[in-house]
Amino acid sequence: MGKKLILLAVALIVSFATASAASADDFYKGKTIRIVVGFSAGDGFDTYARAIARHMSKHIPGQPPIVVENMTGAGSLIAANHVYKVAKPDGLTIGHFIGGLFLGQVLGQKGIEFDARKFEYLGAPITDHVVCAMTKASGITSVENWMASKTPVKMGGIAPGTSTPDNATRILKAAVGLPIQLVTGYKGTAEVRLAAESGEVAGGCWGWDSVSVTWRKALDSGDAVVVLQANRRTHPDLPQVPQAIKLAKTDEGRKMIEVGIHSDSDIVRAYTLPPGTPKDRVQLLRKAFEDTLKDPEFLADAKKSKLNVDPVAADVVEKDISALFKLDPAIVGKLKDILYN
Amino acid sequence: MLEMFSALFAGLIQVFNWSTFSLMMIGIAVGFVVGILPGLGGPTAMALMLPFIFKMSAVEAFAFLLGMTAVTATTGDITSVLFGVPGEPTTASTIVDGHAMARNGEAGRALGAVLMSSLVGAIFAGVALAVAIPVVRPIVLSFGSPEFFMLSLLGITFVASLSGEDQLKGIVAGGIGLMLATIGLDPISGIQRYTFGQLFLWDGIGLVPITIGFYAIPETIELAVLGTSISQQKVEKLGGVMEGVKDTFRHWWLVIRCSALGTFTAIIPGMGAATTQWLAYAHAVQSSPNKERFGKGDVRGVLGPGAANNSTLGGSLITTIAFGVPASVVMAILLGAFIIQGIVPGPDMLIPPPKGKLDLTFSFVWVIIISNVITVAVCFLFLNTLAKVTQVRGSLIIPLILLLIYLGAFAEKNAFEDMIIVLLFGGLGWIMEKLEWPRPPVLLGLVLGPLAENRLFLASDNYGLSWIWRPGVLIIFAVTLVGILYPLIKKKREEKASQPTTATLEAAPKGGLRFDRRVIFTVCVIILLSLALWQSRNFGVRAGLFPWVIGTPTLVLALFQLVKDLRGHKKVSAPVFEGEGAVEVSPAVASRRTWTILGWTVGFFIAIWLLGFSYAVPLTMVLYLKLAGREKWPITAVMAFGTWVFFYLLFERMLSVPFPDGLIFTLSKGQ
Repeated sequence: MGKKLILLAVALIVSFATASAASADDFYKGKTIRIVVGFSAGDGFDTYARAIARHMSKHIPGQPPIVVENMTGAGSLIAANHVYKVAKPDGLTIGHFIGGLFLGQVLGQKGIEFDARKFEYLGAPITDHVVCAMTKASGITSVENWMASKTPVKMGGIAPGTSTPDNATRILKAAVGLPIQLVTGYKGTAEVRLAAESGEVAGGCWGWDSVSVTWRKALDSGDAVVVLQANRRTHPDLPQVPQAIKLAKTDEGRKMIEVGIHSDSDIVRAYTLPPGTPKDRVQLLRKAFEDTLKDPEFLADAKKSKLNVDPVAADVVEKDISALFKLDPAIVGKLKDILYN
Repeated sequence: MLEMFSALFAGLIQVFNWSTFSLMMIGIAVGFVVGILPGLGGPTAMALMLPFIFKMSAVEAFAFLLGMTAVTATTGDITSVLFGVPGEPTTASTIVDGHAMARNGEAGRALGAVLMSSLVGAIFAGVALAVAIPVVRPIVLSFGSPEFFMLSLLGITFVASLSGEDQLKGIVAGGIGLMLATIGLDPISGIQRYTFGQLFLWDGIGLVPITIGFYAIPETIELAVLGTSISQQKVEKLGGVMEGVKDTFRHWWLVIRCSALGTFTAIIPGMGAATTQWLAYAHAVQSSPNKERFGKGDVRGVLGPGAANNSTLGGSLITTIAFGVPASVVMAILLGAFIIQGIVPGPDMLIPPPKGKLDLTFSFVWVIIISNVITVAVCFLFLNTLAKVTQVRGSLIIPLILLLIYLGAFAEKNAFEDMIIVLLFGGLGWIMEKLEWPRPPVLLGLVLGPLAENRLFLASDNYGLSWIWRPGVLIIFAVTLVGILYPLIKKKREEKASQPTTATLEAAPKGGLRFDRRVIFTVCVIILLSLALWQSRNFGVRAGLFPWVIGTPTLVLALFQLVKDLRGHKKVSAPVFEGEGAVEVSPAVASRRTWTILGWTVGFFIAIWLLGFSYAVPLTMVLYLKLAGREKWPITAVMAFGTWVFFYLLFERMLSVPFPDGLIFTLSKGQ
């Protein structure tokens, strides 16, 4: 027990000191890397970033300390613009903001001052796995009786342009033709969940990683049911739950799910470097990022924090993003219409 | 029932396990410092400490984290009282009367009162949490968006009681606050309102920079103009602390009511201590028979918020534990900690062991209570020393306050722009204070506006118009009506009972209209409101509804105010700051000193902008102490170096706050 206290005290002292035990004689020796996170301390994005920061250092020659800086505002757009325009491309700044902004750029979202094609990408620690979960009380316990509902089913949302729940819900409504009334304005998915429990809305569509943890009890007791999922892979936890893309009526609908949900899920938690970062450092950091996500100590740490790890490689992120820019203008127009009106 | 008690007892035993207790003490120590320092808030501290809890057991982890959180609101009050800069966003309202008391030489009493009421609030929160456990789920689940909307509406009617003697000005000020709250992305349709293309305005303007500007800047100006220490009175004995403690018991029911208000409103998602403190303050004003001293150093204005910002934790915890819905940022992080510990918040937390984790929940209750008892006890040892700060001469204190102002403004969101907001609202707050416009209604409008708007749309989207007939809505509506009507009726009765008082209105100068700075200010308000309304024509119905509904009546009332200003006004009561037998300063000197301190305030900002914090802090410190303060070199050097070391080690090194580089460095590198 005393040991714990000593550990804590040591950790506190260590966080004061920043000197690194340098071994390799190269660029990163004696420097500090910062991860600019677009959300506040303690947020999901921040939690991942801090866990990665704790373990990534040892995979970089010279073992530079890594610090997390929170630059909040405008749904992390301020951080995104900062990493693009202001941060020096010296390999000492890593950006982490919401990947939904990349689609936002294609759709002409206001305030974006970056070009997603020019960032360098490190990959992502996890792909989001969108599911729609409903309360039993709402009467919607399968996609069939959802489809058959005579009245639009109320689903909770946060704000227009949010990857989940809003974008995903709107796309599912348009592409699959589900009767949905999106009620937006809740502050976060926890409030959506509370509204569902109090019967105000039927449920909502957002990441399984969050639903499975925060709604565990209701899912176990059958008070909440996952009726639909949308991801390239069927989740091992959810073998029986139908895939949205199979229910889509048209090619256009499938394309929208593919772009707006599947590909968005891959890139939503991407880590970036400012454009023009030297190639050798990009390679080095990519490797370090990849190794960190495989590092047993990191995985143990992540598991303790209930952070699922399901890495998306840097080239997959790049491919997803370049695909966004090759979209058929008709689809772009349709998506704009669906997501922002 | 027996199981409940055994769980309650088991929770207590768990806290007194020595490792848990030691961790709680470390948490308290961290929270103590975090609370006192502006710009370093509970959320940041918690996020930083999160990694340390991996190796702890659940009880240990929460003793550590909750101990830390529970004391930030308590020690944050200390900074608010002493310096007029909020130590935490949740302790802003303590400034209004607490700092005024400090200026009157009653710092000790204010601190005694705020700490004692904090303790009462914390204990109340603990007890409420324990008592509410069996009934909380059904009650909260019976509340939907319509009820939440009605509650925020009820809160907004509190504006009237915050308005002081001049109701009209107060209501206009509340309207301005509600209008300020609409700045940013509209949450329903995502339309930008009054953002002028600035990204940093997308999330609206923060409560912290506005409060700092509103209070700390006018205080600093006043301090410089009078050339005194913070306390303008010669205090015979710094005692007074016990007087503050006694005040808590003298106004026992007020403290209890405000504690209850804090706990129960915090159960509503979105209502954190940032809001409840103002409601409590408003309630303290509303329920007190004689209101003249509020804003000028009334101890009741300290007791209310002091109790509420602590008792809020209990209410927030209820929603977090029972539903996993975090009521505030701190709770969101705590929720993360739950999950790290493999605990899913929900009904389980309310069932006695072995089936549930009620003993753990009860350990929270004990941690909240015990950590506050310890903190308050420790504080009392130092209170007299702390209160002496108010007797240090102004020239030494002013540069420190200026640093706290900018640090507090910047570090909350690491946003440079917030320092500009501080300056703008500093100017506004100063003018409002001079012209006797009440400032608290603006802040209340600002915190309640978004909640009301959001919930109104959620209510009508979910239920159409039928939400109006929900029983909960009707009940709250009735309460609101009573709240509005009762004071009016009471006043009428009192007026009838007493002799008609002589009119306080000074006759307008014969044959002419008055045209002075009051009129100019009111005209500015009218112009701004009109511009805001004009701009809102493009917002569309959903995003525009709120600005229209709020802006139009506010504009009409502001016009009334203009008429009133033009026709003459109340006799100018003696300026607040020159209180009882205080320092007199001739107008010429006052004006010169005002310009000087404005220069220093803006100059400090410009120095930060050009040189960055690291260079600007010691430089300004030395310049101010030497040029304005005419201090001796040794003391200047020690102060400047001390401040810099503290600033550098804590904020730059330990917290790695991303201070921006100075403009001249970015420019020279860019070339």
